[in-house]
Amino acid sequence: MIRIQHLNKSYTQGESQSTILKDINLTIAKGETIILKGVSGSGKTTLLSLIAGLEKPTSGSLLIDQEPIHKLPDLFASKLRADKIGMIFQHFNLMEHLSVAENVMIPLIPRRWHLKKINQQVTQALQKANISHKANTLASRLSGGEKQRTAIARALVSAPEIILCDEPTANLDKENSLRLIAMLKTLHQEGKTIVIATHDPLFEQLSFPHRIIPIENGEIVDV
Amino acid sequence: MFNRAFWHFLTLQLFKERQRHIATLLLSTLLVFLLSSILFISASLRHTLTQTLKAQPDFVISRTQGGSPTATPLAWADELAEIYGISKITPRVYGRYFFKEKRESFLIMGVDFLEEQTHQGLEQLLNESDLKDLLSGKKMLIGEGVKRFLSANFYDNEYKFLTPKGKFVTVTIAQTLPAKSNLLSNDMIIMPLALAQEILGYDQEEVSDITFNVPNPDEWQNISDKIASLHYDLRITNKREVAKSYEHLYNFKGGLFLVLFIILLATFLLILYQRYSMVYSSEKRQIGLLRAMGWSITEVLQLKFAETLLITLLAFLLGVVMGYLYVFILDAPLLSAIFLGAENLERHLTFTPVVELSTLSTIFLIYALPSITAVIIPVWRVAITDAKEAML
Repeated sequence: MIRIQHLNKSYTQGESQSTILKDINLTIAKGETIILKGVSGSGKTTLLSLIAGLEKPTSGSLLIDQEPIHKLPDLFASKLRADKIGMIFQHFNLMEHLSVAENVMIPLIPRRWHLKKINQQVTQALQKANISHKANTLASRLSGGEKQRTAIARALVSAPEIILCDEPTANLDKENSLRLIAMLKTLHQEGKTIVIATHDPLFEQLSFPHRIIPIENGEIVDV
Repeated sequence: MFNRAFWHFLTLQLFKERQRHIATLLLSTLLVFLLSSILFISASLRHTLTQTLKAQPDFVISRTQGGSPTATPLAWADELAEIYGISKITPRVYGRYFFKEKRESFLIMGVDFLEEQTHQGLEQLLNESDLKDLLSGKKMLIGEGVKRFLSANFYDNEYKFLTPKGKFVTVTIAQTLPAKSNLLSNDMIIMPLALAQEILGYDQEEVSDITFNVPNPDEWQNISDKIASLHYDLRITNKREVAKSYEHLYNFKGGLFLVLFIILLATFLLILYQRYSMVYSSEKRQIGLLRAMGWSITEVLQLKFAETLLITLLAFLLGVVMGYLYVFILDAPLLSAIFLGAENLERHLTFTPVVELSTLSTIFLIYALPSITAVIIPVWRVAITDAKEAML
């Protein structure tokens, strides 16, 4: 479960301060799918980054399974992120010089597992994301859809409970977007907690249970 | 963290980004090569000079008049013999013989066969040949530079010296001195004492200087003072002073060495700055991504440290091996000329292989530590920032 209470995030640049998120209160149950909906600059990506522990809030608390990720020392926060959170970025964020399989194994390297076990996990994740046939292709040679599937495989490889997706369809055509949504449905059925930050209307008609949280100017808007 | 999967990933990183690493590796190898070449030459020269000095007599006395050296009376050797604590008194005859038409000169050294000390060292150098037999009659031993010069002028077996009295003396070449002694013997001609006196214009009762030993080092100062007071025009020099002057001549603090060294260090600092900046420009996103994938700061540092250490060690090994081959196998073409300066004879110096642990540690400290630091510090600074910011 993810519990967010009175969460604020602002950036200081010189003497000016810009507030990105204002007093966010949100509880996401285990297995729930949440759509953070809002226009560009509304703060949804920042909220996702805060949940992933990629940055720290200015104030407020953020608990993941009772663990305050923003307060944990780096070693524990990193472990929590590695074990429980899989992240899919808008721009895929792949290492272009590595192959698909090599990109997917990145989250598993610090686990001190045997290479054979890592390869097994990678194979499973590639199959799940339907990108096995490109396992040895360099990331730089993939199409947008293939890059997205690689990013999904990488997010799934450590079998996390929480999947965070930042504008997952922003760089995909409709066909690939629908494929991605179908994949998310499968993950939902497997009991994963999914948080999607998007402004894509395709997510308004999901065929599986979900909750839409509109965000405007850094605040959750009551519907 | 340092398990097989880690090394596998490290290898992938190094191999797949080889274009970026190769540039760093090549620059670093070149730098270590130059640095090690300079230090190898310096260490080798110092070693050769130390070894040469070991065979030198403790003291040398000569006559100076009006500040210039002049012929030393042989009678001074008898006066020395009366002082208690002195041994192995040896008169020496030497001087430069000029070739007017070529404007070049050789150093002629006369050897007294009745005196053991001087020619024992020479015999060792010539692989135990009997020096007396070798130089019986009018014969000479010549350095490699002299040999090349004479051959170029068609004097393959002998040379006719012109004495100051206008008389020609034909001297046969007995042997060439070995290349390992080139630092000192390149332009040297060794011949019997009487022959050297004749060619250099000394009377039979005159020599260039007189050498002797004082076995008790505690007596060096007393005896030195006593001898200095014998004659107002007597100049006395001891081995330590000679060693110091050699040190000054070849020490790495010497001008050219220092200039080369500073240029190298300046280049190195530029490379380090470039490497430092590279972390911010091209590796920042990668570090942020690793952090986002659940890598801790320590794990990111371990990866980057291992990556840099491998490249640094490889460049270090390659550079040192190349430096060794360049200096000790190829005799450091170009660089040796800079070190040894202009000579009246072209010098082909063979460097004695000397690889001291201190030299290797100096190279490692000068090169490896700053190289690793120049990567680890920016990596750490990027790793401790928010992963989101690093990925931007």
